[in-house]
Amino acid sequence: MQRYTFNILFFLAAVALVGLAQFGMLDKYALTIITFMGINCIFAVSLNLVNGYMGEFSCGHGGFMCVGAYAGSLISVAFFTDSKLFGSALFPPELAPVLFPLVLLGATLAAALFGLVVALPSFHTRDDYLAIITIAVNYIVISIVENIDAIGGPRGFSGMRKTVNAMSDVVNVPWMLIWTILGLFVCVMTIYRLMTSTYGKGISAVRQNEVAAEIMGINTNRVKIMAFMVSSGLAGLAGALYAHVYGYVNAQAFNILKSTEGLVMVYLGGMGSISGVLLAAVAFTLLTELLRFVIPWLDGVLHAMSLLPAGYELSQIWKWVIIPLILVLLMQFRPEGFLGNRELTQVFPWIKRWITFK
Amino acid sequence: MPLLEISGLTQRFGGIQALSNFSFQMEEHELVGLIGPNGAGKTTVFNIVSGFYASTEGEIVFDGRRINGLKPHRVTAMGMARTFQNIRLWNDMTVLDNIRLARYSWLGYGFLDAVLRTARHGRAEHAVETRAREALEMMDLSECAEELPKNLPYGLQRRVELARALTGNPKLLLLDEPAAGLNSADVEDLIRHIRWIYDEFGISIWMIEHQMKVVMSLCQRLTVINFGSILAEGTPEYIRQHPEVIDAYLGDEKI
Amino acid sequence: MELFLQQCVNALQWGSFYALIALGYTLVYGVLRLINFAHGDIFMVGAYIAFFVSTAFLAPDGVFGFSRELSLALTIPLTMVFTSIVGVALERIAYRPLMRKGAHRLYVVITALMCGLILENGNLALLGASRKTLPTLLDKNIYSLGGVAVTNLKLWVIFAAAFVFVVLHFIVTKTRMGMAMRAVSWDKFALPLMGIPLERVIVFTFILGSSVAGLGGMLFAMSYPVLEPYMGAMTGWKAFIAAVVGGIGDIRGAFAGGFLLAFVEIMVAAFLPSTFRDLFAFSILLFILWQRPTGIFGKPLTTKI
Repeated sequence: MQRYTFNILFFLAAVALVGLAQFGMLDKYALTIITFMGINCIFAVSLNLVNGYMGEFSCGHGGFMCVGAYAGSLISVAFFTDSKLFGSALFPPELAPVLFPLVLLGATLAAALFGLVVALPSFHTRDDYLAIITIAVNYIVISIVENIDAIGGPRGFSGMRKTVNAMSDVVNVPWMLIWTILGLFVCVMTIYRLMTSTYGKGISAVRQNEVAAEIMGINTNRVKIMAFMVSSGLAGLAGALYAHVYGYVNAQAFNILKSTEGLVMVYLGGMGSISGVLLAAVAFTLLTELLRFVIPWLDGVLHAMSLLPAGYELSQIWKWVIIPLILVLLMQFRPEGFLGNRELTQVFPWIKRWITFK
Repeated sequence: MPLLEISGLTQRFGGIQALSNFSFQMEEHELVGLIGPNGAGKTTVFNIVSGFYASTEGEIVFDGRRINGLKPHRVTAMGMARTFQNIRLWNDMTVLDNIRLARYSWLGYGFLDAVLRTARHGRAEHAVETRAREALEMMDLSECAEELPKNLPYGLQRRVELARALTGNPKLLLLDEPAAGLNSADVEDLIRHIRWIYDEFGISIWMIEHQMKVVMSLCQRLTVINFGSILAEGTPEYIRQHPEVIDAYLGDEKI
Repeated sequence: MELFLQQCVNALQWGSFYALIALGYTLVYGVLRLINFAHGDIFMVGAYIAFFVSTAFLAPDGVFGFSRELSLALTIPLTMVFTSIVGVALERIAYRPLMRKGAHRLYVVITALMCGLILENGNLALLGASRKTLPTLLDKNIYSLGGVAVTNLKLWVIFAAAFVFVVLHFIVTKTRMGMAMRAVSWDKFALPLMGIPLERVIVFTFILGSSVAGLGGMLFAMSYPVLEPYMGAMTGWKAFIAAVVGGIGDIRGAFAGGFLLAFVEIMVAAFLPSTFRDLFAFSILLFILWQRPTGIFGKPLTTKI
């Protein structure tokens, strides 16, 4: 029983969170932040599969999130709403809560397929050159989306709010929070189970010694395809959730800056550590939100102490100076991230008594 | 029918002829050595046979099937395993995991099985685990199952690599300088292990080795190559007295 | 035909900008195996430095009240010097301590990426969103060559790039320091044999790369006088791509890649909707890397077993 403590706690926490949201004890802002935290977790953990476990340097993960966001949005709009683009809804809106997993699945598969664009060149290309390919793919995705006028082009795409509303009309619960928690659960379980199976350890073998992997009977090309597809597919899942939480998507939201955020979370947490990356994703989301309040406060303090000229206001832009600065410092003093390539249970073995993972 | 039959193997890298018209046969249950001075093309032969390089010309038939152009993992799946001159273990995973992964070709389950933890996955993992433990037991490595290879002494790393190669139940084992970098006690151990493997499993072993002590005490037959072509072939006794071989080795190593 | 030739001239000009930035990527990569992702922002810093220096010099608002010609003549070397100070500072403060500790290569790359963000956003936060405009330093002359209009500035830009190429080629192949740079890219451990400390070579590389980027920034600002903090980001990425397409680590590659990329972009923008420009540029990159995984001048990767 003791071994299940963590699992039960996790479940209770999820229920409590949903309950709090349901009875209005979490305001809309807090709810959005928590949901967004979950999405960031999915995004970072999925990137970790390629950058941490497989040791490639993918810098265009945002592109796959973009594919998932648009694919999810389009499926969602086609399924549940009357639109100019797809005509009348395919299904009655009452089915939205039941069929929404299909939307997420579709987005995941679409992004996974797009992952092939990176996976195939990775047979011959490695390291920095593969990094460039991922960057290029990121830009290509955004550019393609912006050039298709039917899905809004540079103006973005909306209409997913109706799907969320349709779900709420059937049962009024915080649907997007629930889907995000489930999505995160699926994502973590997928990667955890994959990486603890002999099949998935082929990914680590490719990182540690590709020649040995190939000679010992591991089809390295297939391993790369699998890793890239799973990784980009889960990023697509994050994208679809993101699109429905915000009710609006714009390709520029998934540009190289988004990909950089992913990198930051992975390297902050420690490459190849699921728990480390989860911690980092939560910390990173909190930090960005916290700075939103800290900066005006700091502005007030510094002005009160007349350390700043009167005409100068400490703006929110400083956020994007402070965050990279923290990271640069972190790299200097703890370059392996929070946990290195170890899991929380390895760093603190006593946790093992409270946790069981299958 | 020979287990391995190589005929007219030729390999050019750019303008360099690394191997010319190399022909070789090997029966089942044979222990054969491949020797020659540095840069003679020994490792190139192994790299081509194990599928890492595609040969420029020539035929390789292994176990009744032509294997030219097959990817290394396909060749491995057909029952060939090899070790490397400079040890190539996966250093960030345990010795046990290293051994487990050698069963990759025979896992018999896929991505969905792994993620959904199906019964097939459970059975396969159980079989792999048992097989890996056996292999460790056989090579006297059980104590270091949970160690990382990089923390092991060099001699043990060699042995782990040997155990890993054996775990795939090969018909043919290619050993690329298994004694390189070992001290004399370790070399004795190695000779003992190789002989035991050869007798116990009834497999064929083809080894590249510089240390004449190892080659002379183990191999039934030797092939000598120099500048990419065969210089001599025969029993260790015959090779030891071959004038051209002595010539080629002059100043390089004493036979 | 005239339209085509006109676009070719434009492509040469853009290619020169790309090449000048790509050089910095290539030089640093050749020596350190480091993708200096902050380099695009060094280009931006160069443009801003040119702005501050030239406004300080130029009459009537400047402190010194110099003439245009004198201001231009002074701004060029000063911009190069100041920009290389920024580049070297970056290496000293951010990269060197990490490399000394033997941190994984990727951590240094991430640090570079972060330094780039700091430079961009720090600039925006300190100088505000108001756009700066570089004062005119060069009277505009338009020459017409067979129906193709060429400004003197364009010619200067192209000439500058060609000049930099010749000088760098000389430095790398003929001087002791240049040979040391090439030696490092072959084998880091062979360098002490030449009697030059590794760190001096690294600093020299950063000086070369940053000063050339500073020159590029200044020329860019003279051609497109409105400055903004993010101007280095996209141009930097593109220049980086140019370096890779050419084969990163090779000076010829930086130029070949730069001109190729510029040519594709300008032609796409001229004959197709301009929104397709990035799509084509990046797709071509993808295709080239797929066919030649190490770029036009790159040596093929080999794995030794």
